[in-house]
Amino acid sequence: MSNSSFEITMPKVDLNYTSAKTPVHSDPNPEAKPLPKVTIDGKAYEFKPGDTIMQVAERYNLHEDIPRYCYHPGMPIAGTCRMCTVEVEKAPKLMTSCSTPAGDGMVVHTRSEKVLKSRNGVMDFLLANHPLDCPVCDKAGECELQDYTFEYGPQESNFKEEKRVFKEATTKKLSDKVTLNMNRCVHCERCVRFTDDVTKTNDLVMLNRGWHKELAATDEKVGLTNDYQGCLTDFCPVGALTFNDFRFEKRVWFLDKKPSLCDGCSKGCNIEVHHDKEIVQRYMPIYNEKVNGHWMCDEGRLSYHTYADADRIVSPLVHDQASGRLASTNWETASQVVNAKVKSATKTLVVLGTDATTEEGMLVKGAFANRAEVKYHSGFGDNKALDHLLRQSDKTPNTNGLKAIGLSPLAPTDINGNDLVIVIRQGRARLPKVEGQDVILVGVYSREEIETLKTSNVRVHAVLPSLATIEKDGSFTNCDGHTQSFTAAVTHRGKSLAMPRILAALVGEKR
Amino acid sequence: MGTINVSRKYTLAQKIYLYYIIKGMLINLKRFFRGLFLQENWTIQYPEQRREYSQRFRGAHFISVDKNKTENCTACFLCETVCPAECIHIIAEERPEDENTYGVWKEKKPASFDIDLLRCCFCGFCEEACPKDAIKLSRDYEMSVATRDEAIFDLNHLKREVKGRG
Repeated sequence: MSNSSFEITMPKVDLNYTSAKTPVHSDPNPEAKPLPKVTIDGKAYEFKPGDTIMQVAERYNLHEDIPRYCYHPGMPIAGTCRMCTVEVEKAPKLMTSCSTPAGDGMVVHTRSEKVLKSRNGVMDFLLANHPLDCPVCDKAGECELQDYTFEYGPQESNFKEEKRVFKEATTKKLSDKVTLNMNRCVHCERCVRFTDDVTKTNDLVMLNRGWHKELAATDEKVGLTNDYQGCLTDFCPVGALTFNDFRFEKRVWFLDKKPSLCDGCSKGCNIEVHHDKEIVQRYMPIYNEKVNGHWMCDEGRLSYHTYADADRIVSPLVHDQASGRLASTNWETASQVVNAKVKSATKTLVVLGTDATTEEGMLVKGAFANRAEVKYHSGFGDNKALDHLLRQSDKTPNTNGLKAIGLSPLAPTDINGNDLVIVIRQGRARLPKVEGQDVILVGVYSREEIETLKTSNVRVHAVLPSLATIEKDGSFTNCDGHTQSFTAAVTHRGKSLAMPRILAALVGEKR
Repeated sequence: MGTINVSRKYTLAQKIYLYYIIKGMLINLKRFFRGLFLQENWTIQYPEQRREYSQRFRGAHFISVDKNKTENCTACFLCETVCPAECIHIIAEERPEDENTYGVWKEKKPASFDIDLLRCCFCGFCEEACPKDAIKLSRDYEMSVATRDEAIFDLNHLKREVKGRG
């Protein structure tokens, strides 16, 4: 076939892989070539060559005008759901906005009669087999199928046939984290593309064709194995994939949403803390192009359990000489006891866990300036990326930030020769090995940790609980050097205090 | 706080006082004899005799059950969401797989379902919101309790086999 005249020519400009969410502007220099413009609903928007119509809409925050199921800004384009069709003038048919490249001078209508009729028809077909079990389904309230049905969908179905039922895949555990209900699936294949192109683990496939098309794990025995399974449940537009940790816990319309930072590793993913009456129910990632994109890992997603733990210590404990146990007390007594202890100690070492915010680092450094040495400690060694996406080996959020304010790391020999060690640590850094010294613990601890310390013969003098990351303001510097500040997402309901007041109790000064 | 003395002007009949007492007693007598001879009674002998209430009367709540005495409630929280008095408190859980013979439509169940009757205003919104016809208001109006704790109806109390409406 050497003399075949059939040739495939690639387009001159490659399509952009993912959508940026920032507008672009032409170079103000009059000699420079201006950027092309596309008119969407009567208003002209500049775009970068290679954008599709949907990506232009994403840039200018018009995403509410164009409904979508298969399209996701963080994943390659599929064009399977036909929900995002728009009317382009001079084009004979409706075009899928997610896969049609925008052209200079193109005139697009997103809400014309023809478009709305098409969307209504698409919704009718999607709902033909959808079970409409919204009362049981966990997605209800944040479900794209529900929202678009209200907006575009038919009031009544044209189908009288029985709905399709996948008998074996109604409540199938794909892994210990994700449950699949195949009846609800609308076959957008976002999940398949996510495992193919984002995590590159190829965990999920669509079996069969047409009516019998079914989602399944590539290897049924292994199931889902990737570390970003929570993301599958985030972007699933229906309740087909649900996260076991959140399943049946709370209806989503009760949740308050506050932005914060994940402190599960040194990446510092941007998250939204979903809580109801100050009880954290889940973490969800929010988009940040520079740090985490659209995703977050499961380890970080489940890391709120450390703070929402029933065994977390939220009241000051002081060692009772008579019984030899740690006893709960009030802050007045605790501060008197620790203050006397700090004053009587001849040589003190402060070990600051790298899960403290940079501001807390500065405070600790200032408070102990003439009294003790301050060293930072993570317990995870040097940071390295665990995969091509987000996960890092350093499971503490602020090693770089504490380095930047001039603290030095804890060497194994530093602890010897001190008679008092103050360990400040918010639940993420590992505890340093202490033997033979008196120890005052400050921060977030669980009952289990204190008990292990006691069995390993560490003389814990007092435990002063402080606020966790989601309960306080501050800033972290992540592994790539981005400094991000955050504010408190939930209010602490225990007796824990913020770091300035704990330091005042320790050194006996008002700060 | 000062005290204000209010002086009223009384008529002669009011000052004598007896006139109004006789007038009042005459009304009593009139009712007494009309009840005695004309059977014109306005009260009933309550526990033995009961008043007829409307078919649409909204009384104590119940949760309907199916043939196997499993509650129809799937803990969707719609009644809790719509309740204006915030008297419904639900905790949801997954039905254990070995007990679940119904499949996916009853995979979620209420671990606890409490209605605080002292808060409830019997508006019937919960009944209207329920997609499974699980929570309903019966025509039972005898809900007197001795302590406040007894006025919180739990799932076992609410669950009962229903024949018709209430």
